[in-house]
Amino acid sequence: MDFSFVTFFLVKGLEISSPIAFAALGGVFSERGGVVNIALEGIMTVTALTLVWGAITFHSIWLGLLVAVITGMLMGLIHAVVAVTFRVNDVVSGVAINIFAIGLTRFLSQSWFGQETQSAINSRLFPNWLGVNSLAFWLIPITALAWFAINRTVFGLRLRSVGENPEAADTLGVNVFFMRYAGVIISGALCGIGSATLFADKWISGMVAGRGFIALAAVIFGGWNPIGAVLASLLFGYADTVRIVFETRIPIPVQFVQMFPYVLALVVLAGLAGRARAPAADGRPFEKGED
Amino acid sequence: MAQRRRRSARYRILEGAAPFIGFIASAAVLIGIVIVLGEDPLKAVNAIYRFTIQTSAKLAQVLSVSIPFYLSGLAVALAFKAGVFNIGVEGQYFVGGFTGALVGIYLHVPAAVHIPLVVISAMLGGALWAFVPAILKVRRGIHEVITTILFNNIATALVTYFVNNPFSGLQKGQSLEPQTKKILATAVFGKLNGFFRSIGWNVPDYVYLDYSLIVAIIFGVVIWFLLSRTRQGFEIRAVGTSIDVSRYAGIKVDRVQIGAFLMSGALAGLIGLQEIFAIRGFYTYSLASGLGFDGVAISLIGRNSPIGVIFSAGLFGFLRQAGYGLQLFTKVPNSVTYAIQGLMILFIVVINEVMMRVVRGLRKREAG
Repeated sequence: MDFSFVTFFLVKGLEISSPIAFAALGGVFSERGGVVNIALEGIMTVTALTLVWGAITFHSIWLGLLVAVITGMLMGLIHAVVAVTFRVNDVVSGVAINIFAIGLTRFLSQSWFGQETQSAINSRLFPNWLGVNSLAFWLIPITALAWFAINRTVFGLRLRSVGENPEAADTLGVNVFFMRYAGVIISGALCGIGSATLFADKWISGMVAGRGFIALAAVIFGGWNPIGAVLASLLFGYADTVRIVFETRIPIPVQFVQMFPYVLALVVLAGLAGRARAPAADGRPFEKGED
Repeated sequence: MAQRRRRSARYRILEGAAPFIGFIASAAVLIGIVIVLGEDPLKAVNAIYRFTIQTSAKLAQVLSVSIPFYLSGLAVALAFKAGVFNIGVEGQYFVGGFTGALVGIYLHVPAAVHIPLVVISAMLGGALWAFVPAILKVRRGIHEVITTILFNNIATALVTYFVNNPFSGLQKGQSLEPQTKKILATAVFGKLNGFFRSIGWNVPDYVYLDYSLIVAIIFGVVIWFLLSRTRQGFEIRAVGTSIDVSRYAGIKVDRVQIGAFLMSGALAGLIGLQEIFAIRGFYTYSLASGLGFDGVAISLIGRNSPIGVIFSAGLFGFLRQAGYGLQLFTKVPNSVTYAIQGLMILFIVVINEVMMRVVRGLRKREAG
C-alpha cells in the first residue's frame, strides 16, 4: 500500500460519495422544512439527463450544470406544488414524481438522442483534479455553506421553525408555504449538482441506481443535519468504493459484494432507529385557517 | 331524507371522479405532445385505435399485458389499505418468481399438484422478501419506503447471482443470457385461447391468455372479499384510515400491518408467473422490470380498491399497446406513454386531494 494508492482511494471515495452526499444535503433542506422528499431519486434521474443534454447542446459542461440545476429546481417545484400547496401526502407525491421521472427521461432521451435508454456521448467534462471529477470537491464548501445556512441564518431558523411547528411559525409571521417551497426547491438544485458528480460523459437509464434512496437513509442516519448527513453519505460512498476497488480481489461472488452498500444502509438504519429525531412536522401538510 | 341520499350520491360521484378527470387531462397533454411533434392528432388517435380495440385480437392482447399490471396494482393496493407503502413489490416479484421457478424446475409431481405448488411457492417467496421490511417498520419504526427500496436492490443482485451460479441452466459454451433450466412440462402455464375461441372470442395463438389470468381473477375476488366482507379486512381498512383510532379501538395495529405487508408481498410473488411459466419457460434476471413501480401508479389511479385496480390495470395495458401503435404508425415515439403515465398519476393524486377537500367542505356546510 503506497501513498499514491491511499490518495487515490481517498479521492475516489469522495467522488463516489458526492452524488449521495449532495442529494442528502438536499434531503436535509427539504425535511428540515417539513417535506419528506422521496423524489430525490427521480430528480437526480432527470437532472443526470438534462446535464448531458445541456452540455452537448450548449457546448459547455458548465452550462450543462446550469441546466441540471434549473431542471432540478423545476422538479422540486413540482413536488412543492403537489405536496405543499395541494397537501397530497409527500411520500405519495415523491413516488409519483419518481415514476414520472422514469417516463419523462425515456421520452426525452428518445426525442433528443433517438434512443430510450441512453444518451449520446458528451465529450465536454468537468476538469479533472487528482484523477477525479473536480466537482466532487465542491462538496466540502457546500456542506459548510449548508450548515451555516441552516444553523446560523434567519433563513435557516425560519426553515427549521416551519419543519418543527408550522402553526407557531405562522403565528409569528413566517410564510410557511414560502419556506417549504424554498426547502424543496433547494433540494432539487442540490440533486442537480449531485447528478453532475455522477458520470457526466453519458446518460444511461437507471444510472442513478438507488443513490437518491441511499441519500434518504443518510439523512436519517445523519440526524437531519447537514454535516451528519454528509458523513453518513461518506460512509455509504466509501463502502461502495471498497466494493469497486476490491471487487476483483475478494474471493466471494461479485453480486454479494454489490449488495454490500445496501445491506450496510439497512443495518445502520436498523441499529439507529429511535435514536435520531425527525423534525416534528416532517411529512405533515400545513393548512392555514381554521379547518 | 331523499334529498340527503341524493346529495351523498353526488359526493361519491365527486370523490370518484378524480381518475377520470386525471385521465382526460393526460389525454389532452398527449394530444398536445402529438401536435408539438408535428403529427396529425387524428392519425395518432387512429393508430391507437387500430392497436388496441379495433379487433378482438388486439383487445385480447391488451387483456394479456394487463394481467401482471393487475397483480402488481393489487399487491400495492392491499398494503396501502393498511397504511403500508410497499415500494418493494419490484424485489418481491423477482424473488417470488425465482422461488416459484425452483419448484417448477426441480419438483417432479403431476400437473394438477404442480401448478398450485408453483403458485404457493411464488407467494411464499414474495412474502419472505417483505418480511424484514415489515418487521423493521413495525418494531423499529423505519419507513418501509426506504427499506423496501434497499431490498429491491439486494433482490436484483441475489437473483443475478442465482441464475449465474448455483442454478444456471446453460451448458458450457452456450452464449445465451444467464438463465435457469427449463420449467418442467407439468408446471408450464397452459393457454386458455382455445376456451375463449369456443365461447366466440377470437383470440389468436400469439396472445398469452394463460393460467395467470385465472390466478389474477381468483386473487382479485379473494382480496375484494377479504377487504369488504371480513373482520380482518375491516381491521386493515381501519388501520389504514387512522392508526391512533384503531389502537384505541383495541385493534392490534402492528399485527395487522405485518399481515397486510406479507400478503402484499405474497401477491407480488404472482406478478412474474405469466412471463416465467407461460411466455419464457425459464427464469432469468432480465424479466420485465419496473412492474412493481407501475403497481404503485396503478393502485393510486384505481383508488387502492381491488375493483378500481381492474380499470387502472386495463388502462396501463391499453397505454402499453397504444404506445406500440403510435411508434409504428406515427412520428410519436412509444416512450411518450411512459411520460404520460407518470403525469397521469400526478394529476390524479392532486385532483383526488382537491375533490376530497371540496366534498369535506360541502359536508361541513350541510351539517351546519
